[in-house]
Amino acid sequence: MAFLEFNQVSFSYPQEGRFALRDIQLGFSRDGITAITGANGSGKTTLTKLMIGVLRSTRGTVCLEGRSLEEYSLGEIGRRIGYVFQNPDLQFFCSTVAEEISFGFVNQGCRPETVEEKIQYYLDYFELGNYRHVFPLHLSHGEKRRLAIASVLATEPSFLILDEPTTGLDAYRKRLLADLLIKIAGAGTGISLVSHDQAFVNRLAERVITLEKGRVVWDSGEGRKHG
Amino acid sequence: MANLDPRTKMIMVVCLSILALLYNTPAQLFLLFVFTLMLLLFFNFRLNVIGVYLKPFLALMLFLFVVQCVFSPSGLSILSVGQVSLVTSGGLLLGSSMVLRIIVVTAAAMLFTTFSPRDFILGLVQWKVPYELAFMVFIALRFLPVFRDELVNVITAVQLRGVDLKKVPWKQKLDLYRRLFFPVVYGVMLKAQHLAVSMESRGFRAYPTRTYLRRLNLYYADYIVMVTFLAATITLIVMGP
Repeated sequence: MAFLEFNQVSFSYPQEGRFALRDIQLGFSRDGITAITGANGSGKTTLTKLMIGVLRSTRGTVCLEGRSLEEYSLGEIGRRIGYVFQNPDLQFFCSTVAEEISFGFVNQGCRPETVEEKIQYYLDYFELGNYRHVFPLHLSHGEKRRLAIASVLATEPSFLILDEPTTGLDAYRKRLLADLLIKIAGAGTGISLVSHDQAFVNRLAERVITLEKGRVVWDSGEGRKHG
Repeated sequence: MANLDPRTKMIMVVCLSILALLYNTPAQLFLLFVFTLMLLLFFNFRLNVIGVYLKPFLALMLFLFVVQCVFSPSGLSILSVGQVSLVTSGGLLLGSSMVLRIIVVTAAAMLFTTFSPRDFILGLVQWKVPYELAFMVFIALRFLPVFRDELVNVITAVQLRGVDLKKVPWKQKLDLYRRLFFPVVYGVMLKAQHLAVSMESRGFRAYPTRTYLRRLNLYYADYIVMVTFLAATITLIVMGP
């Protein structure tokens, strides 16, 4: 049984005549890294939003650990799946960088004596130490991207979805991110990432899914072309 | 007539809102509500759409209804605990009036959605309102949904970090909302600042005069509706409750 499963899922946005996604049949396990690629508007972000229950399918069902995603609250999904938004501004809601990183694990009952240690680890790894007390929306785009990833990774989810994680990152920081994702995947966390960065995808992804006009046209996991 | 000038519709909204604020009895407000409803149906609004617009105000209406019922006691006691009257006939009437007033003002404001924001600015400018002021009003209206979206995003983001808001006790929930308030408001202010920079970099207020691609024209139907609404409103106010 796949960790996340799409069963003939179609989705259309309200007041839009056409389907943004159509007849998606996919499974995502907690093994390795899957890349979702495709041109702008092909439905990649919509697919990831369906994976975390922010959007509900128009037809078909999305299942998480064998149960329909609709049976879960967003909080329950958030404890299993970490989601890094395409636009980092949308996911910040704390007054400082340190608070943003610690929000998830503090609310999930992390022991107080380890809180500071964890904050410091992520501040150091993502080189955000100098911005510890800075308001997150005051950071540069690249720094925001790093903070968005750090704050989601800090919750240690079972599955991680990253929407365009390399946008705004320089080559050195892309390499750092890639190393960390490989390490996390090796520790048994499933990862799906949406990216236009072909070099990043080639380095990391063991499976590549390509979308075109809302349909899966290639899934290297199945080793065959669709449609 | 559904294609009335935006300015005519603005006058209609102002007249309906003034009457809603001045009327005090549920009967008067109910009649005003029926009239507003008929007007909206005339402008091709579907009843379920009106319901969607009113839904966000339900909690506020319920709260104000209860507050008016309990804290404005007068008339006959309908429900009492010991010697204390909880619900009185006067309180009930005041509560109903308050709810109906909100419904009428909200329903009337829906007329604003029947024309584009661009026409709203044009209408005000042709009434000699300075463009900057008209634009500010438009932006303020535009920022209301931005503010709502911002709140929805934050609530979603909080939950996606594993917080089950439905299961969080009320005291903790209020504390969480209190902590989120400042960053959300500040985030919207930053957006407003960016918008101002973007506008100025594209020449906003750089020259004393502006060019308008089109002009709005008032037709006979507009004058008739405007005069009728203004005359009816003044008559109703002069006649008193």
